[in-house]
Amino acid sequence: MAKRLLATVPVLIGVSILIFVMLNIIPGDPVTVMMKERISPDVVEKVKAQMGLDDPLIVRYFRFIGGALRGDFGLSYKLNRPVSQLIIQAFPNTLALALAAALVSWLIGIPAGVLSALKPNTIVDRVFMGFSVAGISMPIFWSALLMQYLFALKLGWLPVSGFYGVKYLLMPALALGWSAAGIIARLSRSSLLDVMQKDYIRTARAKGLSEVQVIICHALKNALLPVVTVMAIQVASFLSGAVITESVFGIPGLGRLAIDAIRTRDMPLLEGSVLFATFLVVMGNAVADILYSTLDPRIRYGR
Amino acid sequence: MRFSKWLCAVGVAFICIANGAGTALAQGSKTLRVPYLEDPKTADCQTQTISYLLPLNCFDRLVECITVGPGESKIVPGLAERWEISDDGRVYTFYLRKGVFFHHGKELTADDVVYTFDRMLDPNTKALNTDILDWVEGAKERMDGKAIYTKGLEALDRYTVQITLRGPYAPFLAVMASPQASIYNREFTIKSGSRFGLTPETTSGTGPFVMKEYVLNDHLLLVANEGYYRGRPQLDEILVRITPDPETLRMLFEAGEIDIFDCDYAVSQIPYFTNHPRWKDYVASSPRVGIYYYSINQRIKPFDDVRVRKALQMAIDRKLILDELFYGKGHLENGIMPRGLICHNPDLPVIEYDPEKAKALLAQAGYPDGVEMEIAQVSGARQWLRINEVVQAMLREAGFKAHIQQMDEAAFYATRSAGDLPSYVQVWSADFNDPDNFFYTFFAPRNTVARSFNYESQEVFDALEKGRSLSDQGERCELYRKLEQVIVQRDAAWVPLFSLEHVYVLQPRVKNFVAPWNGWSDMSYYDIHLED
Repeated sequence: MAKRLLATVPVLIGVSILIFVMLNIIPGDPVTVMMKERISPDVVEKVKAQMGLDDPLIVRYFRFIGGALRGDFGLSYKLNRPVSQLIIQAFPNTLALALAAALVSWLIGIPAGVLSALKPNTIVDRVFMGFSVAGISMPIFWSALLMQYLFALKLGWLPVSGFYGVKYLLMPALALGWSAAGIIARLSRSSLLDVMQKDYIRTARAKGLSEVQVIICHALKNALLPVVTVMAIQVASFLSGAVITESVFGIPGLGRLAIDAIRTRDMPLLEGSVLFATFLVVMGNAVADILYSTLDPRIRYGR
Repeated sequence: MRFSKWLCAVGVAFICIANGAGTALAQGSKTLRVPYLEDPKTADCQTQTISYLLPLNCFDRLVECITVGPGESKIVPGLAERWEISDDGRVYTFYLRKGVFFHHGKELTADDVVYTFDRMLDPNTKALNTDILDWVEGAKERMDGKAIYTKGLEALDRYTVQITLRGPYAPFLAVMASPQASIYNREFTIKSGSRFGLTPETTSGTGPFVMKEYVLNDHLLLVANEGYYRGRPQLDEILVRITPDPETLRMLFEAGEIDIFDCDYAVSQIPYFTNHPRWKDYVASSPRVGIYYYSINQRIKPFDDVRVRKALQMAIDRKLILDELFYGKGHLENGIMPRGLICHNPDLPVIEYDPEKAKALLAQAGYPDGVEMEIAQVSGARQWLRINEVVQAMLREAGFKAHIQQMDEAAFYATRSAGDLPSYVQVWSADFNDPDNFFYTFFAPRNTVARSFNYESQEVFDALEKGRSLSDQGERCELYRKLEQVIVQRDAAWVPLFSLEHVYVLQPRVKNFVAPWNGWSDMSYYDIHLED
């Protein structure tokens, strides 16, 4: 584990340079976009100088990285608040959304995949897989809109948007989770189909176990291995920002911070949030690996 | 089964987090719920130029510009109960009301006013609105860091402030009524430092509402200021919900979760609301002192030729756009000063739609086969894309082959401030009711570059300076009206489109809603009350 943590350092440095360079290649500066229609050239010039934006690229990078190494990501240009504070405030919201969405995707995806695999090429299979493909293919802003229309406006069961408790989390979790459920369902289906052809399944059946025992104790345990990996990575990707879901449902999370930072060329905020997200993704992968080796004793890392 | 236990654990964990995350929304019956597309970022109006919501509701100014009729405004006493202007137009003396208190309990004094404006000019503030104090004596030295105070700002006694300008500047009183000129308390603001305006604990003004909660990108809660000098507001609270998605916003309104819907967020929904039996009686609209226009960049060929520019003016069927895209809710404008602005000229020559004549002009200019051109816009901005697509088709009839170039917001504004942006459509609404707010903004030497007009005319530059220093209103109007004809009719440096009405839909319980004179989406909610 320590080794893996150490291995993230070069990744983070690489990412930080990449973001820095890219944000400076594309046209735009934080002061003009902050002023928008009420721009005044004199003010832009002065404030840019005061913010140190006129300094050479390399100077600015080292100023940033120097602070970052001491744990200080600086102040967001636009929001004028410490970047670390902004991330800490936004993270719990994103975490709640990510876990809820993951839960939805597993609760829908795994049973759907299993049922499809048990009755391959039947009407059950077709219905579940059609539902999965719809989830994967439908853009979230569209499915979210449909849900808001149905559940909030027509039926009045759930609030339209906002983030003030569990009730508010259901729709975003469903919207985000459905798209991921499709992937899980398809993966568990193909994986289970594969496993069902294996010799040990034939052996289990030959021992006289019931079909349910065969599936749960022998088939599923092995079939879910690749699914668990994908699940861990999915959670990490939810955590690193579900921008559209957060915007449509008005959830003050990390994704919105990052997208605003790009829009307004807010370098410190973008560096902070992307580095944080990178770290989460790297960790997600590590967790996936560890889970994999725990679940499957044949696989060992770092030995 | 181990797996299901694990699932249970995750489920419990998430419910705990979800309950903890986000704050509960407390709402009373006298809570006005308003939506907001983008977080206002700060209540400090010196350091931002976008959102006037907090300055207008939590702060006051020396004088206020109030709405006295649809699209009509008047300057009235605010924190200053009266004022004097010297004969040479340089010295403004404001006599403050006594017994006005800031939210944290301190009385307003002349020193606070001096501090407020000096803070704006202090380079450490990194203020974005220093333009409004440009004319104060010693402002430049203060901004350049050559002085530690501003010479032209002086507290004569506890309740008297004197502001001296470096020359007569006629719009100064109107400028003092703009949200950027909101008054702060010296002691409190210094103590709050760079966090001033960012949290309830570090925000204090004299305004009708006090900031109580502020969760970034989520919501703000403002509560009535019990000791407000004009009397306690009728509302108990204002709940501002930040909702970045316009579609969601509309659904929030229809689901009854917000009280005011600004149709600027969904222009295409205007017919829906005006025809819907549930909403049609609750549509409020008012003219706005703002003008929609297309810019022309004279640095980009062939727009250096006045004939090409004139052809462009004639090639757009403005009436059709107004009728089809905006349901006829507005008026065509033929100049720079829209209706409602002082000095507006209703008798300007009309710019006729005439694609044949436009073609002929292009041929005269040496382009018998038409010209290629670009129209720039911020990507994904639907309100502009609708106009641009229609205009693109109209221009084709007149020989302009226009391509719509979409770019992201920051790139758009950076390209524009470098003077390199091709034509774009925009709207400008008055910050203060004076022609200077329109002419100087677009056609002053540096501004004409920074807004990608590149209309370099010494005649115009000289007239702009003269207009600022004249004190006789009649004389000023005459000057601006002449200038308007030079810019629009003679030099065709600007393509006026129309001024639109601002349409809002209200929940039935909202009473005494007055749309602001200038057409801003931001307004003071002081006069509104709710009935159940």
